[in-house]
Amino acid sequence: MIRHLLAGMKHALGLHRPGQKLPVRPDDVLLASYPKSGNTWTRFLIANLIHPDREVGLGNLHQLVLDPEVSVKRDFDRAPRPRFIKSHNSFDPRYRRVIYVVRDPRDVALSQYHDLRTLRQVHNEFPMETLIGQFLVGELNRDPGSWGDSVGSWLAARSGHPGFLLLRHEDMLADPARELTRVAEFAGLPATLARILQAVERSSANASARSSWQNDLPDPQVARIEAAWGDIMACLGYELVTRDSRAALKSSLIGLLAGSGFLSQRVMIR
Amino acid sequence: MIQRLINTTKRVLGHTSQGRHFEVFDDDTFIVSFPKSGNTWTRFLIANLLHPEEPANFGNIDRLIPESEELTKNQLARVPRPRIMKSHEYFDARFRKVIYIVRDPRDVAVSQFHFFRKRRRIADDYSIEQFVTRFVAGETCDYSSWGGNVASWLVTRQNSPNFLLLRYEDMAARTAAELTRVASFLGLGVTPELVAQAVERSSADQMRKLEGANATATVTKNSRQDVPFVRTAKAGGWRTGLPESAVQRLETAWGPLMVYLGYELMFPEKVATSDLPVPETLLNGSSR
Repeated sequence: MIRHLLAGMKHALGLHRPGQKLPVRPDDVLLASYPKSGNTWTRFLIANLIHPDREVGLGNLHQLVLDPEVSVKRDFDRAPRPRFIKSHNSFDPRYRRVIYVVRDPRDVALSQYHDLRTLRQVHNEFPMETLIGQFLVGELNRDPGSWGDSVGSWLAARSGHPGFLLLRHEDMLADPARELTRVAEFAGLPATLARILQAVERSSANASARSSWQNDLPDPQVARIEAAWGDIMACLGYELVTRDSRAALKSSLIGLLAGSGFLSQRVMIR
Repeated sequence: MIQRLINTTKRVLGHTSQGRHFEVFDDDTFIVSFPKSGNTWTRFLIANLLHPEEPANFGNIDRLIPESEELTKNQLARVPRPRIMKSHEYFDARFRKVIYIVRDPRDVAVSQFHFFRKRRRIADDYSIEQFVTRFVAGETCDYSSWGGNVASWLVTRQNSPNFLLLRYEDMAARTAAELTRVASFLGLGVTPELVAQAVERSSADQMRKLEGANATATVTKNSRQDVPFVRTAKAGGWRTGLPESAVQRLETAWGPLMVYLGYELMFPEKVATSDLPVPETLLNGSSR
């Protein structure tokens, strides 16, 4: 009962976290990704671009690029428009403008594995094989589901949509200024080269480390991931090594949908 | 202010519906579809299969197969498990076992247009062309657009043994056979007689009678009684009910998905499905 009362008071003062019940505004920009796909670095890039006058750090990031699970309602009310909102959830049609950051699932799996061991949520000798099994069925992240659930649902519903910008984490690492310029143009942010370069520079400490599944992920595990999501991976240009990319795409629904949408979007950008 | 207080109290006490954010259990089964795709009919079929002792009608269907987002938190907690529930939600990773019903979007658009007239959500002089424009944009309901809803489920779950895809058109053409597939998906041992009885008890004629007998039920209450809920219950009505411009708009938006589902296009030349340049350009293009 006291818990309810406290919750009620927080609510009245705007100190509660809105979570998924956050009322969405038409000009909100959602920054979506699966966990461990470079979302935090992208948030730093965007925050540094919008606020050249402020020092962006982990302490204030949630006020600059909002996180419904961390930021409180007051942060949402005070944020400048358009609001940038972070999410790890699968497809959500309420948002009309979405930036989706995708990363090679073979690296995402590896990155989650390292994280779980570093955070001591699994012991150091936890078998990779077991972890990949959990990764494939989405047990590691219950709300968004699996990597394929998150990426697949967003691509299926929104690829080719003018309000959908797809970024590959690998492209961001290769040329952050170019990719941040795409973000700026998409969201209507100031995009002089000097400001872009400054934002990239200021965010560089938060760039995620490159991990390399080629060296660290055993072949049988690579094969399992490619068997589950080979069609989506091939669509995204992640080359398959245990099966033929062309065969994976053939007669696949995502190939059909992305072929008419995602593809044309990328061609337009070029 | 007082209304807010009442709402907060209701929420705290569990007397409100939670919409999409209710607690899902691993042993739940969901009957999912975009609205106006035969979900109510499927609910009747399955309810009549599960409860031969209590024929389904518009008065008891919400108890036999509840709608997850209509129930309050307390009501949901009282539904006996394993639960079989109805939903219109776009992809939700928490749903483990799903029967997904898909219907030709041209028929869905016509059906939703009439349903909205029945519910007085659109004026009588609102044209179907205007409606289809909003339908394609996904602005006619909270469950994404037809394409967003269907594609989000199919791409993620299509190959899962816990996902059963039904086409409304197949159900209409061979109801008993499709219902038998549903039964085996649900792990129900059923006899052909039981299936036949469920089909009979859920027929369009029977459902029309039940609608007439129960005008105050949830699906039909507060609406125009001169526009029936159970309308033609046929496939292909769009051929007469939908102007060509609207058909073209729908096919331009979702042509590839429709072809994939076996819905023949009226304007196939407008949709590039045969010569999809998928792999090559995309793969070469992205390896910069």
